[in-house]
Amino acid sequence: SGELYCSLLNPRNVRFESINMKNVLHWSAPEGTGNGVLYKVKYSIYGVGKWIRKPECRNINRTWCDLSSETSDYEEQYYASVKAFLNGMFSDWVETTRFNPLTDTKIDPPMVSVSSTEKSISIILTAPEKWKRSPEEESVSLLQVYPGLQYNVSVLNKKTKKRWFFSISNHTLIVPRLEPGTAYCVSAQIHVTTPLLDSGFSKEHCIATLKDK
Amino acid sequence: SVAEIRAGFAAIKANIQARDPIRTHSILSHPRSLHKVKSSDRCCITHHLFDFYVDKVFKHCKTEDSYVNRKISSIANSFLSVRRKLGQCHEQNQCMCGQESTEKFKQILANYEGLNVTSAAMKSLGELDILLDWMEKSR
Amino acid sequence: DALLPAPQNISILSTNMKHFLTWSPVIIQGETMRYSVEFQGEYEREYANESWIPISECSLITGTVCNITEDISATVAYNLRVRADAGARRSEWGTLKGLFNRITTSLTPPVLKVIADGYHLLVDLEDMGPAFQFLVLYWKKGQERRVQQKVVKEVRSVVHLDTMEAGADYCVRAQTYVEAINRSSSFSQTQCVRAQGDKSMWLV
Repeated sequence: SGELYCSLLNPRNVRFESINMKNVLHWSAPEGTGNGVLYKVKYSIYGVGKWIRKPECRNINRTWCDLSSETSDYEEQYYASVKAFLNGMFSDWVETTRFNPLTDTKIDPPMVSVSSTEKSISIILTAPEKWKRSPEEESVSLLQVYPGLQYNVSVLNKKTKKRWFFSISNHTLIVPRLEPGTAYCVSAQIHVTTPLLDSGFSKEHCIATLKDK
Repeated sequence: SVAEIRAGFAAIKANIQARDPIRTHSILSHPRSLHKVKSSDRCCITHHLFDFYVDKVFKHCKTEDSYVNRKISSIANSFLSVRRKLGQCHEQNQCMCGQESTEKFKQILANYEGLNVTSAAMKSLGELDILLDWMEKSR
Repeated sequence: DALLPAPQNISILSTNMKHFLTWSPVIIQGETMRYSVEFQGEYEREYANESWIPISECSLITGTVCNITEDISATVAYNLRVRADAGARRSEWGTLKGLFNRITTSLTPPVLKVIADGYHLLVDLEDMGPAFQFLVLYWKKGQERRVQQKVVKEVRSVVHLDTMEAGADYCVRAQTYVEAINRSSSFSQTQCVRAQGDKSMWLV
């Protein structure tokens, strides 16, 4: 028929990807479209009546948009939406599912620093910080966001290949009475019980106890 | 337990929230967020909300999906046993209802009655994480 | 068509928060009998017109056992029923005598293995699922009055308990705790081990 076909296929897989509450909207280009497709983004606070455009993500050709600043209040929930356009054709607005920063974020492993004496190792753990707008802004540790946050710590004796686990609430752990001159590898994970959130385990930090004098 | 309610809700959250197309209206969190409630009023509001979900919400949430219905049953029955525990603190008079909590709860009922019953019930069910986040934060 | 007899001897086997409904088979020569199970929680009885909810994994099954753990997920009283089907014929519902509340589940002592690794006292606990925590008691032999305890909420193979004095004997026993029903199992057998310093050996 002579009908002018003005619509473009929709962007696909529109979703928030969030790590430590750095909330970035991601999507895939409409099927079968090459370069040249542009996008615009809007977002809304769930329960509030209006959609808000994100100027920095207007007429962009990339397929992501950082909405961390707009979604930083984790007592609220959000929707975001993307529209594609190309050569005068445009798609529908395509929305995310409802995004709850508190339960839908992923948490990085803790930072692990290890020191040793002749017969002990000391482990200091630091929970990641919540995303912040600028380095000058005051840091908020995820420990403040998730009061029930705990650490699971794994200690591997490289000689015997035996691994022990510790569950601790505070951020320091001293493991005394170890074998001198032995390498131990430490990795740690963050565990939050409500809501149920676990980080992955950090990479292993290996250190040797000092040799017997 | 509350953890079991959260696990049950997490299993059906996407399904339930997808049935609620209304973005501009919330039952629990607007115009005044639960997070603004004074600590002295929390027990009373929690108690009211558990009654609200048991008496008004769950019965209007039947779906065509057997798995979702079973999870809703699990949540509803868990609400009964948690409410029983809350009732104990109510009996020991640690659950005073002040002016603010009465106003807040009226607002929630007004939000609920502002929609047709099925939409309101499904929206309320979809906002369970708002209730749970608030309860756990204020524990 | 004569009605099929309803399933009989309907009962529940519940151990460590795993709940199974069982019943006697309905036997009609030359017929393949199939069974369907439904449950009704306190909520359904009191607030939803005594409605019943089918368990899809146990709809038209030929076995006489149904795992109802997923659906018995609140500490309230549940009703359960089973009916039989053979071709176009169907029985009445057979209903569990009395209601079932998971608070009555039987809790067995945890399976554990106590390990001395140098001067370190460790315990290897069996993973019993997310509903379970463990209370682990340990003490230096001869100092039975100075028992120490550790609550283990998440089982991850070998859990570190404490460091030990050289050559000393340490004993350990544990019980499970289920927060959802606020009950504990009885304690496991006591196991003792000796710290490095002397010949490390297994003592019972």
